[in-house]
Amino acid sequence: MTSQPLSVQPPRLAFWLVNLFTIPDDAEAIMGDLLEEYSCVASKSGVDHARRWYWRQALKTIAHLIYSAYRIAPWSTASAVVGGFLLPGFVIRFVGFPERAIFAVLEKYQVPDKHFNTYVFFATTGIDIGLVIVYLWVGCVIALVAKGREMAAAITLCLIFAGMDGVALFAFVASGHSLLRSLLPWMFADSFAILIGAAIVRSSRSARRIGSDHGLGKPAH
Amino acid sequence: MASRDYLGEFEHIIVLALMRLEERAYGVTVRQEIELRTHREVSIGAVYATLDRLETKGYVKSYRGDPTPERGGRSKRFFRVTAKGVTAVNRTHQALQSMTEGLGLIEDYS
Repeated sequence: MTSQPLSVQPPRLAFWLVNLFTIPDDAEAIMGDLLEEYSCVASKSGVDHARRWYWRQALKTIAHLIYSAYRIAPWSTASAVVGGFLLPGFVIRFVGFPERAIFAVLEKYQVPDKHFNTYVFFATTGIDIGLVIVYLWVGCVIALVAKGREMAAAITLCLIFAGMDGVALFAFVASGHSLLRSLLPWMFADSFAILIGAAIVRSSRSARRIGSDHGLGKPAH
Repeated sequence: MASRDYLGEFEHIIVLALMRLEERAYGVTVRQEIELRTHREVSIGAVYATLDRLETKGYVKSYRGDPTPERGGRSKRFFRVTAKGVTAVNRTHQALQSMTEGLGLIEDYS
Protein backbone atom coordinates (compact mmCIF):
# COMPACT_ATOMS: atom_id res chain seq x y z
CA MET A 1 0.00 0.00 0.00
CA THR A 2 1.07 3.57 -0.58
CA SER A 3 2.24 5.65 2.36
CA GLN A 4 0.88 9.04 1.36
CA PRO A 5 -0.45 11.22 4.16
CA LEU A 6 -4.24 11.52 4.33
CA SER A 7 -5.35 14.54 2.29
CA VAL A 8 -9.13 13.95 1.88
CA GLN A 9 -11.59 13.19 4.64
CA PRO A 10 -14.30 10.54 4.31
CA PRO A 11 -18.00 11.43 4.87
CA ARG A 12 -18.21 12.52 8.51
CA LEU A 13 -21.57 10.90 9.22
CA ALA A 14 -20.50 7.53 7.77
CA PHE A 15 -17.21 7.72 9.68
CA TRP A 16 -19.04 8.50 12.94
CA LEU A 17 -21.58 5.70 12.39
CA VAL A 18 -18.91 3.05 11.74
CA ASN A 19 -17.04 4.19 14.85
CA LEU A 20 -20.25 3.96 16.87
CA PHE A 21 -21.09 0.41 15.82
CA THR A 22 -17.57 -1.03 15.89
CA ILE A 23 -16.54 -3.30 18.75
CA PRO A 24 -13.92 -1.35 20.78
CA ASP A 25 -11.21 -4.00 20.19
CA ASP A 26 -11.66 -3.71 16.40
CA ALA A 27 -12.32 0.03 16.17
CA GLU A 28 -8.77 1.22 15.54
CA ALA A 29 -8.03 -1.40 12.87
CA ILE A 30 -11.39 -1.07 11.04
CA MET A 31 -11.37 2.75 11.04
CA GLY A 32 -7.73 2.77 9.91
CA ASP A 33 -8.35 0.24 7.14
CA LEU A 34 -11.33 2.20 5.82
CA LEU A 35 -9.36 5.46 5.89
CA GLU A 36 -6.40 3.89 4.12
CA GLU A 37 -8.53 2.42 1.34
CA TYR A 38 -10.61 5.60 1.09
CA SER A 39 -7.54 7.74 0.39
CA CYS A 40 -6.36 5.13 -2.12
CA VAL A 41 -9.74 5.06 -3.96
CA ALA A 42 -9.93 8.89 -3.88
CA SER A 43 -6.50 9.28 -5.51
CA LYS A 44 -7.33 6.67 -8.19
CA SER A 45 -10.99 7.39 -9.01
CA GLY A 46 -11.80 10.79 -7.51
CA VAL A 47 -13.40 11.98 -4.28
CA ASP A 48 -17.04 11.47 -5.37
CA HIS A 49 -16.43 7.82 -6.23
CA ALA A 50 -14.48 7.37 -2.99
CA ARG A 51 -17.28 8.88 -0.92
CA ARG A 52 -19.83 6.48 -2.49
CA TRP A 53 -17.43 3.60 -1.89
CA TYR A 54 -17.02 4.66 1.76
CA TRP A 55 -20.77 4.89 2.35
CA ARG A 56 -21.29 1.44 0.77
CA GLN A 57 -18.54 -0.06 2.94
CA ALA A 58 -19.84 1.73 6.04
CA LEU A 59 -23.42 0.46 5.67
CA LYS A 60 -22.32 -3.12 4.89
CA THR A 61 -19.87 -3.03 7.78
CA ILE A 62 -22.54 -1.79 10.20
CA ALA A 63 -24.93 -4.56 9.07
CA HIS A 64 -22.19 -7.16 9.65
CA LEU A 65 -21.29 -5.72 13.05
CA ILE A 66 -24.93 -5.89 14.19
CA TYR A 67 -25.20 -9.47 12.92
CA SER A 68 -21.92 -10.50 14.57
CA ALA A 69 -23.02 -8.91 17.89
CA TYR A 70 -25.94 -11.36 17.96
CA ARG A 71 -23.74 -14.21 16.79
CA ILE A 72 -20.98 -13.64 19.38
CA ALA A 73 -23.18 -12.83 22.39
CA PRO A 74 -26.80 -13.68 21.51
CA TRP A 75 -28.11 -14.00 25.07
CA SER A 76 -26.60 -10.85 26.57
CA THR A 77 -27.59 -8.75 23.54
CA ALA A 78 -31.13 -10.17 23.45
CA SER A 79 -31.47 -9.75 27.24
CA ALA A 80 -30.52 -6.08 26.93
CA VAL A 81 -33.19 -5.65 24.22
CA VAL A 82 -35.91 -7.43 26.25
CA GLY A 83 -34.95 -5.45 29.38
CA GLY A 84 -35.02 -2.22 27.39
CA PHE A 85 -38.44 -3.14 26.01
CA LEU A 86 -39.93 -3.67 29.49
CA LEU A 87 -38.17 -0.77 31.23
CA PRO A 88 -40.25 2.19 29.89
CA GLY A 89 -43.51 0.48 30.91
CA PHE A 90 -42.11 -0.11 34.41
CA VAL A 91 -40.97 3.51 34.82
CA ILE A 92 -44.21 4.98 33.44
CA ARG A 93 -46.59 2.64 35.31
CA PHE A 94 -44.88 1.93 38.63
CA VAL A 95 -42.52 4.88 39.16
CA GLY A 96 -45.08 7.28 37.73
CA PHE A 97 -42.69 9.32 35.61
CA PRO A 98 -43.43 11.58 33.78
CA GLU A 99 -47.24 11.85 34.02
CA ARG A 100 -47.90 11.37 37.75
CA ALA A 101 -44.74 13.25 38.71
CA ILE A 102 -45.61 16.28 36.54
CA PHE A 103 -49.21 16.45 37.78
CA ALA A 104 -48.06 16.10 41.40
CA VAL A 105 -45.71 19.08 40.99
CA LEU A 106 -48.35 21.14 39.16
CA GLU A 107 -50.93 20.46 41.89
CA LYS A 108 -48.47 21.13 44.68
CA TYR A 109 -47.72 24.62 43.38
CA GLN A 110 -51.38 25.22 42.37
CA VAL A 111 -50.33 25.91 38.79
CA PRO A 112 -53.80 25.06 37.29
CA ASP A 113 -55.37 27.91 39.31
CA LYS A 114 -52.60 30.48 38.97
CA HIS A 115 -51.03 29.89 35.54
CA PHE A 116 -53.41 27.96 33.33
CA ASN A 117 -51.31 28.25 30.14
CA THR A 118 -48.26 26.89 31.95
CA TYR A 119 -50.41 24.05 33.27
CA VAL A 120 -51.59 23.17 29.72
CA PHE A 121 -48.01 23.26 28.42
CA PHE A 122 -46.70 20.90 31.11
CA ALA A 123 -49.76 18.63 30.89
CA THR A 124 -49.23 18.12 27.13
CA THR A 125 -45.75 18.97 25.78
CA GLY A 126 -44.18 18.55 29.23
CA ILE A 127 -45.34 14.92 29.39
CA ASP A 128 -44.04 14.30 25.85
CA ILE A 129 -40.64 15.73 26.81
CA GLY A 130 -40.68 13.60 29.96
CA LEU A 131 -41.33 10.48 27.86
CA VAL A 132 -38.40 11.32 25.58
CA ILE A 133 -36.20 11.63 28.70
CA VAL A 134 -37.40 8.19 29.86
CA TYR A 135 -36.47 6.62 26.50
CA LEU A 136 -33.14 8.46 26.45
CA TRP A 137 -32.41 6.93 29.87
CA VAL A 138 -33.51 3.49 28.59
CA GLY A 139 -31.00 3.86 25.71
CA CYS A 140 -28.24 4.65 28.24
CA VAL A 141 -29.19 1.68 30.45
CA ILE A 142 -29.22 -0.90 27.64
CA ALA A 143 -25.90 0.47 26.35
CA LEU A 144 -24.40 0.02 29.82
CA VAL A 145 -25.71 -3.57 29.99
CA ALA A 146 -24.73 -4.58 26.43
CA LYS A 147 -21.10 -3.51 26.73
CA GLY A 148 -19.30 -3.69 23.36
CA ARG A 149 -22.61 -4.32 21.58
CA GLU A 150 -24.36 -1.12 22.67
CA MET A 151 -25.55 0.02 19.27
CA ALA A 152 -26.67 -3.42 18.06
CA ALA A 153 -29.00 -3.71 21.07
CA ALA A 154 -30.12 -0.07 20.76
CA ILE A 155 -30.93 -0.26 17.05
CA THR A 156 -32.92 -3.46 17.56
CA LEU A 157 -34.97 -1.82 20.31
CA CYS A 158 -35.34 1.33 18.22
CA LEU A 159 -36.70 -0.69 15.28
CA ILE A 160 -39.13 -2.57 17.56
CA PHE A 161 -40.56 0.65 19.04
CA ALA A 162 -40.59 2.43 15.65
CA GLY A 163 -42.38 -0.57 14.15
CA MET A 164 -44.97 -0.51 16.93
CA ASP A 165 -45.42 3.24 16.46
CA GLY A 166 -45.81 2.72 12.71
CA VAL A 167 -48.48 0.04 13.19
CA ALA A 168 -50.32 2.22 15.73
CA LEU A 169 -50.19 5.18 13.33
CA PHE A 170 -51.48 3.05 10.44
CA ALA A 171 -54.35 1.68 12.58
CA PHE A 172 -55.20 5.21 13.76
CA VAL A 173 -55.40 6.58 10.20
CA ALA A 174 -57.12 3.44 8.83
CA SER A 175 -59.89 3.76 11.41
CA GLY A 176 -60.86 7.12 9.93
CA HIS A 177 -59.09 9.53 12.27
CA SER A 178 -57.37 12.53 10.75
CA LEU A 179 -53.62 12.61 11.14
CA LEU A 180 -52.28 15.37 13.36
CA ARG A 181 -48.94 16.23 11.75
CA SER A 182 -47.77 17.96 14.92
CA LEU A 183 -47.92 14.58 16.71
CA LEU A 184 -45.69 12.77 14.19
CA PRO A 185 -42.30 13.95 15.53
CA TRP A 186 -43.30 12.90 19.07
CA MET A 187 -44.41 9.45 17.90
CA PHE A 188 -40.95 8.46 16.68
CA ALA A 189 -38.99 10.61 19.14
CA ASP A 190 -38.90 7.81 21.74
CA SER A 191 -37.22 5.39 19.30
CA PHE A 192 -34.74 8.08 18.29
CA ALA A 193 -34.07 8.92 21.95
CA ILE A 194 -33.01 5.29 22.62
CA LEU A 195 -30.39 5.58 19.88
CA ILE A 196 -29.15 8.93 21.21
CA GLY A 197 -28.87 7.53 24.75
CA ALA A 198 -26.90 4.49 23.56
CA ALA A 199 -24.71 6.68 21.34
CA ILE A 200 -23.85 8.94 24.32
CA VAL A 201 -22.72 5.94 26.40
CA ARG A 202 -20.83 4.39 23.47
CA SER A 203 -19.07 7.67 22.61
CA SER A 204 -18.03 8.28 26.22
CA ARG A 205 -16.66 4.72 26.43
CA SER A 206 -14.67 5.27 23.21
CA ALA A 207 -13.31 8.57 24.51
CA ARG A 208 -12.25 6.95 27.81
CA ARG A 209 -10.64 4.07 25.92
CA ILE A 210 -8.69 6.41 23.62
CA GLY A 211 -7.61 8.40 26.68
CA SER A 212 -6.34 5.29 28.47
CA ASP A 213 -4.59 4.04 25.29
CA HIS A 214 -2.74 7.35 25.02
CA GLY A 215 -1.95 7.39 28.72
CA LEU A 216 -0.82 3.79 29.19
CA GLY A 217 0.31 2.70 25.73
CA LYS A 218 -1.66 0.46 23.38
CA PRO A 219 -2.26 -3.14 24.37
CA ALA A 220 -0.89 -5.71 21.93
CA HIS A 221 -3.20 -8.45 20.69
CA MET B 1 -16.89 -38.09 13.92
CA ALA B 2 -13.49 -37.44 15.51
CA SER B 3 -13.50 -33.68 14.95
CA ARG B 4 -15.85 -31.03 13.58
CA ASP B 5 -13.08 -28.53 12.83
CA TYR B 6 -14.29 -27.71 9.33
CA LEU B 7 -14.27 -24.15 8.08
CA GLY B 8 -17.30 -22.34 6.73
CA GLU B 9 -17.17 -21.06 3.15
CA PHE B 10 -16.11 -17.51 3.99
CA GLU B 11 -13.81 -18.68 6.80
CA HIS B 12 -12.11 -20.96 4.28
CA ILE B 13 -11.63 -18.07 1.83
CA ILE B 14 -10.24 -15.80 4.58
CA VAL B 15 -7.72 -18.39 5.82
CA LEU B 16 -6.55 -19.02 2.25
CA ALA B 17 -6.13 -15.25 1.76
CA LEU B 18 -4.02 -15.06 4.94
CA MET B 19 -1.85 -17.94 3.71
CA ARG B 20 -1.34 -16.20 0.36
CA LEU B 21 -0.51 -12.83 1.89
CA GLU B 22 1.75 -14.23 4.65
CA GLU B 23 3.21 -11.36 6.71
CA ARG B 24 1.35 -8.69 4.64
CA ALA B 25 -2.08 -9.88 5.83
CA TYR B 26 -4.21 -7.17 7.43
CA GLY B 27 -7.77 -5.92 6.83
CA VAL B 28 -7.15 -3.97 3.60
CA THR B 29 -4.94 -6.55 1.87
CA VAL B 30 -7.20 -9.46 2.91
CA ARG B 31 -10.29 -7.66 1.57
CA GLN B 32 -8.55 -6.75 -1.69
CA GLU B 33 -7.13 -10.25 -2.17
CA ILE B 34 -10.61 -11.77 -1.83
CA GLU B 35 -12.13 -9.24 -4.23
CA LEU B 36 -9.34 -9.79 -6.74
CA ARG B 37 -9.61 -13.58 -6.75
CA THR B 38 -13.34 -14.20 -6.16
CA HIS B 39 -14.73 -11.07 -7.93
CA ARG B 40 -17.15 -10.51 -5.07
CA GLU B 41 -17.39 -7.26 -3.13
CA VAL B 42 -16.60 -7.83 0.52
CA SER B 43 -17.04 -5.36 3.36
CA ILE B 44 -14.30 -4.75 5.90
CA GLY B 45 -16.87 -5.54 8.61
CA ALA B 46 -17.43 -9.03 7.16
CA VAL B 47 -13.66 -9.62 7.07
CA TYR B 48 -13.18 -8.58 10.72
CA ALA B 49 -16.27 -10.45 11.97
CA THR B 50 -14.87 -13.64 10.41
CA LEU B 51 -11.29 -12.98 11.55
CA ASP B 52 -12.50 -12.42 15.13
CA ARG B 53 -14.41 -15.71 15.00
CA LEU B 54 -11.34 -17.52 13.61
CA GLU B 55 -9.17 -16.00 16.33
CA THR B 56 -11.62 -17.16 19.03
CA LYS B 57 -11.39 -20.69 17.57
CA GLY B 58 -7.58 -20.47 17.62
CA TYR B 59 -7.15 -20.70 13.83
CA VAL B 60 -5.54 -17.27 13.45
CA LYS B 61 -3.51 -14.91 15.65
CA SER B 62 -3.31 -11.15 15.41
CA TYR B 63 -0.80 -8.51 16.39
CA ARG B 64 -0.64 -4.75 16.00
CA GLY B 65 1.68 -2.94 13.59
CA ASP B 66 2.89 0.64 13.72
CA PRO B 67 0.53 3.60 13.12
CA THR B 68 0.79 5.15 9.64
CA PRO B 69 -0.20 8.64 8.37
CA GLU B 70 -2.59 7.41 5.62
CA ARG B 71 -4.57 5.66 8.35
CA GLY B 72 -4.92 8.84 10.40
CA GLY B 73 -2.32 7.60 12.88
CA ARG B 74 -4.10 4.30 13.50
CA SER B 75 -2.17 1.05 13.66
CA LYS B 76 -2.73 -1.99 11.44
CA ARG B 77 -3.85 -5.31 12.86
CA PHE B 78 -1.92 -8.10 11.16
CA PHE B 79 -3.11 -11.70 11.09
CA ARG B 80 -1.39 -15.02 10.62
CA VAL B 81 -2.67 -18.59 10.42
CA THR B 82 -1.82 -20.90 13.34
CA ALA B 83 -0.89 -24.59 13.06
CA LYS B 84 -4.45 -25.42 14.17
CA GLY B 85 -5.75 -23.19 11.35
CA VAL B 86 -3.58 -24.95 8.76
CA THR B 87 -4.91 -28.32 9.97
CA ALA B 88 -8.49 -27.04 9.70
CA VAL B 89 -8.00 -25.67 6.19
CA ASN B 90 -6.40 -28.96 5.07
CA ARG B 91 -9.24 -30.98 6.56
CA THR B 92 -11.85 -28.77 4.90
CA HIS B 93 -10.02 -28.91 1.59
CA GLN B 94 -9.76 -32.71 1.72
CA ALA B 95 -13.46 -33.01 2.55
CA LEU B 96 -14.39 -30.80 -0.42
CA GLN B 97 -12.03 -32.69 -2.71
CA SER B 98 -13.44 -36.08 -1.75
CA MET B 99 -17.00 -34.77 -2.19
CA THR B 100 -16.29 -33.40 -5.67
CA GLU B 101 -14.16 -36.34 -6.83
CA GLY B 102 -15.51 -37.97 -9.97
CA LEU B 103 -18.25 -35.37 -10.51
CA GLY B 104 -16.39 -33.71 -13.40
CA LEU B 105 -17.60 -30.32 -12.15
CA ILE B 106 -15.19 -28.21 -14.16
CA GLU B 107 -15.83 -30.02 -17.48
CA ASP B 108 -19.64 -30.31 -17.10
CA TYR B 109 -20.61 -26.97 -15.55
CA SER B 110 -18.06 -24.44 -16.74
